[in-house]
Amino acid sequence: MHTPASGPVGGEPLLELVGASRVFGQEAPVHALRDVTLQVRAGDHLAIIGPSGSGKSTMLGLLGVLDRPTEGAVVVTGHDTAALADDERSRLRGEVIGFVFQQFHLIPYLTALGNVETALCYRGLARAERRERALAALAEVGLADRADHRPVQLSGGEQQRVAIARAIVTEPRLVLADEPTGALDTVNAVLVMDIFARLAQADRALILVTHDPRIAATTNRVVSMRDGRIVSDVAQAPTPFVAEGSGVAP
Amino acid sequence: MSRFRDLLGIAIGGILARKARTLLIMLGPVVGVAAMVGAVGLTESAKGDLKARLDELGTTLITAEAGTAFGRQNPTLPADAVRRVRAIPAVERASAVAEVPGVVTLPSEGGADYFETFPVPVLAADSRLPAVLEVPVRSGRWLDRADRVNRTRAVVLGGGLADEFGLIPGEVRTIRLNGIDYGVVGVLERVPLEPNLDNAVFITQWAAENDFATEGAPTKMYVRAAPGTTEQVDAAIPVAVSLGSSDSVTTRIPSAALEASAQADRTLQQTALFAGLLALAVGGLGIANVMSISVLQRSAEIGIRRALGTTRSLIGLQFLAEALVVGLIGGIAGAVLGVGVVALVSAVAGWVVVIDLAMMPVWIGLAVGVAVLAGLYPSAKAARLEPLETLRLG
Repeated sequence: MHTPASGPVGGEPLLELVGASRVFGQEAPVHALRDVTLQVRAGDHLAIIGPSGSGKSTMLGLLGVLDRPTEGAVVVTGHDTAALADDERSRLRGEVIGFVFQQFHLIPYLTALGNVETALCYRGLARAERRERALAALAEVGLADRADHRPVQLSGGEQQRVAIARAIVTEPRLVLADEPTGALDTVNAVLVMDIFARLAQADRALILVTHDPRIAATTNRVVSMRDGRIVSDVAQAPTPFVAEGSGVAP
Repeated sequence: MSRFRDLLGIAIGGILARKARTLLIMLGPVVGVAAMVGAVGLTESAKGDLKARLDELGTTLITAEAGTAFGRQNPTLPADAVRRVRAIPAVERASAVAEVPGVVTLPSEGGADYFETFPVPVLAADSRLPAVLEVPVRSGRWLDRADRVNRTRAVVLGGGLADEFGLIPGEVRTIRLNGIDYGVVGVLERVPLEPNLDNAVFITQWAAENDFATEGAPTKMYVRAAPGTTEQVDAAIPVAVSLGSSDSVTTRIPSAALEASAQADRTLQQTALFAGLLALAVGGLGIANVMSISVLQRSAEIGIRRALGTTRSLIGLQFLAEALVVGLIGGIAGAVLGVGVVALVSAVAGWVVVIDLAMMPVWIGLAVGVAVLAGLYPSAKAARLEPLETLRLG
């Protein structure tokens, strides 16, 4: 069951999975992903949903160029990732993709500013410019006044917002978020989802991997997965993130 | 360039993040380098006063005496020996003394018995002797041309003899040589390389010939070679003096013995150096060990950096740079510590501190080398980590 997305289609294709499969192990192979074809365009605000074991994480690894398919192709902004050397794939990640993880993955010994600046290392930027851009990204997530704080001095929500600032400071065409509110309480989840709503822009694709239907509801396209396959791909009108217990069902 | 700066910045950040651990693994290079600097410094400084003295005295003085060939008693050098030796190109200065035998020196009326039993050597000297010895006149003046021309009965006393006679500087003093009064015109400073001269009385060639009826043939010659040519001049002197019958002239380099005793104890030095190297090697193992654990603990950091676009090789280089900085700072600290220990021990023991600062880059470089070598394995391990495995997706 394959329904073409009918949302704000028409943006250039940023990401394509063409018959992609991913098999783990050789003696007892696990087919984590089976023959998946998916196209993500600029302007897509996409949720990938499904129960655990459905292949979401494997999918995320492929989409994020952290992994390569055992069969088929993953094409990111025109580059076939299978044909790229390891270093080229690293650079492609750095240039095109911004990651947000459930566990934030901030570097504990760096300040919020230092963590955001990490994304700008090895890019030939002057220190002042790097700092300026990192501060701007922190301001965008409302944490300009927390620049000197270390992760342990920040709440979970603040840490996740620092992580978002780190993901967007390179101005990536593609933002990948893995259960971005999974480790947050409702109040912080609302704040974070607000930021994601702002990040959904016409020249960018935003992909949220989640099992939370309330998050899926904030997107304009929902891809459902089960057993390593895409079972549905539907366009929808995004609705704002609603906190639990507010009485409005998604 | 900015990449290198980024790399160094990240490495230093990583090091500063775990200060206690960094200090701990820095101990290896610190102790190793301190031991090596201390080993060399202490063994050299133990002989430092001799070395300093050698520097002061120089190693270019050569003495030549007539050889004791068969059938010759009281051997002397040819009368023109000094002139011949001066013809050697590398010779800067030369002078000769002639021993005047059978002269009893009396510093005062009393003590005649003593000075007859233990006679003071009397030497006929030329005007150049102090310049060749590079020893100043302590007081008064040296025998000069005027003494020879005017036939004055002037003597200069050796430094030791002047002390023995209780001569007060500037004092007008007459001493008696075989009953003839001589005026003391000066005192020669002590000659560390030729202590025989300290107890001698120096008179002019004229006085030797006139008052004591000797021919005044030179018995001993002092030759100053140009720096670095001592051995060469030493070999050339017998040829110049006696046209190759080398058994007739015996040469000696008075500083050679001093030079030998100023040599540091090589065995001790090597043992201590080896201990330092061992400490450095063990320290290297410590760095490798702790950094390997550190790579595991920092796998999330490595994963996120890889996700953010850092290549494998840059991740490896980051850890290698951390090892390098640990080795560099540890090495510098060790060098400072080693120098401090040498200075302290030397101050307590009253030694002259001898430290070859030109070797410091070598010691520090050794520490850096060991640290980088130790960092290779953890760095390779860090570079091999798969970001997907360290980030725990989903």
